[in-house]
Amino acid sequence: MQPEEKLAGEEVEYQTCDPGFTTTDWATFRDDDIMQQHNAIQAEEAVKKPYVSDKERNIIFLMQEPLSVLSEEYQSGSPILLEKIQVLSESYAAIRRTRGDGNCFFRSFMFSYLEHILESQDKAEVDRITANIEQCKKTLQSLGYADFTFEDFFALFLEQLENVLQGNESSISHEDLVQRSRDQSVSDYVVMFFRFVTSGEIRRRSEFFEPFILGLSNTTVEQFCKTSVEPMGEESDHVHIIALSDALGVPIRVMYLDRSSCDAEGVSVNHHDFIPTVGDVQNTTSKGVSDFVKPFITLLYRPGHYDILYPKQSGKQY
Amino acid sequence: MQINTDDAILSIHLLVVPHLQASRARLFKEYKEVQREKVADPDIQLVCDDTNIFKWTALIKGPSETPYEGGIFQLAFAVPEQYPLQPPQVRFLTKIFHPNVHFKTGEICLDILKTAWSPAWTLQSVCRAIIALMAHPEADSPLNCDSGNLLRSGDLRGYQSMARMYTKLAAMPKKG
Repeated sequence: MQPEEKLAGEEVEYQTCDPGFTTTDWATFRDDDIMQQHNAIQAEEAVKKPYVSDKERNIIFLMQEPLSVLSEEYQSGSPILLEKIQVLSESYAAIRRTRGDGNCFFRSFMFSYLEHILESQDKAEVDRITANIEQCKKTLQSLGYADFTFEDFFALFLEQLENVLQGNESSISHEDLVQRSRDQSVSDYVVMFFRFVTSGEIRRRSEFFEPFILGLSNTTVEQFCKTSVEPMGEESDHVHIIALSDALGVPIRVMYLDRSSCDAEGVSVNHHDFIPTVGDVQNTTSKGVSDFVKPFITLLYRPGHYDILYPKQSGKQY
Repeated sequence: MQINTDDAILSIHLLVVPHLQASRARLFKEYKEVQREKVADPDIQLVCDDTNIFKWTALIKGPSETPYEGGIFQLAFAVPEQYPLQPPQVRFLTKIFHPNVHFKTGEICLDILKTAWSPAWTLQSVCRAIIALMAHPEADSPLNCDSGNLLRSGDLRGYQSMARMYTKLAAMPKKG
């Protein structure tokens, strides 16, 4: 395994697999020995985390990697998946993996969106989403949320948005953005901002969302928002994605990498475009309007997890 | 491979400090809100420790038409540095006989204080949720098994008289 290889060159104080260790008389093995060993493991883990950054599961975002890492991951896995990865690699060049902590959809969306603004410097888009965010704030107020419960989270996202636009004192580089998105305190606050926005949108249009929610969890809309949207670490479903995409007016494409087999004629990768529409009209999904709107956020879905995908034509370097 | 401990310490430092500032700012807003809401919710009296904004106590009134009616119950709040991303720790200081409150420690079993916590909750609304829990005990997830068993076996009278007794003993002003 990777982490063990990385440790090979280090001096390790303890060794659980040391043959001498197993012959130790257990009667003489005292509590403080166990504590000592425990501490040694902890000390080693604590150092490893910030250091073995890109391979470590605890890192919120990994570096961008070529899509071939996916085929390596599934080398001994299902042939359908390998074929689908092959199809994916025709249109997508790279992947950025996110930590699997239940917030991966929101974190992926956050990074992907801010990265898009940083690269496109699309001020019109920033103005547009800022107006939407103002609307989301009004929605929460009208639903009875006290301002102080959500305003810090809103302010932190607006700050990130301002910082990715260049030409200000506070402007940040792409590297800063990666660094910042990996900072738990920034990342968690932005995730929470999205959770508030999502919850507000679902509750504002509870009649529209009610049937989906009943199908998912058999609870009321209110209860669903309280237990499955607002708490950190609660995984996102279609309902969350539709609500966030609609509330912020940001289209999202999700590519599905699962085992669902295809018809006899070759393998294809299912995708779904979440296309928001203006006003109170529901999310139109992949029909009609979507022909004209091309989502600039593409996420890869594997059952239970979202990562960021980078299309080939975008001209980014890998 | 060289281990750079300075980096490790620096990154830990960076992770902790913003939380501390954010939680302080948030608690200060809650403090101001509590001063404003005092009249609006006469059943809850939330007080912040004079010297430490991370320590609060609350006095809550036992809900009417429950065995806790007439009692005043004291709660202790310990707010973590990661608040409001993480929930406050709350326990009863006043002895209470309730299926979801530990009889000895006062620990409370309530989803919003564990997995269902979100920053949309406030110290004030947590108090309201605890009052609601007093009125609607969840006998199927008991911290106090004696109390839970009475309810689960349908002995409502037994539960109510025990709860009433402890309310009188611990949560009401002594007469005379």
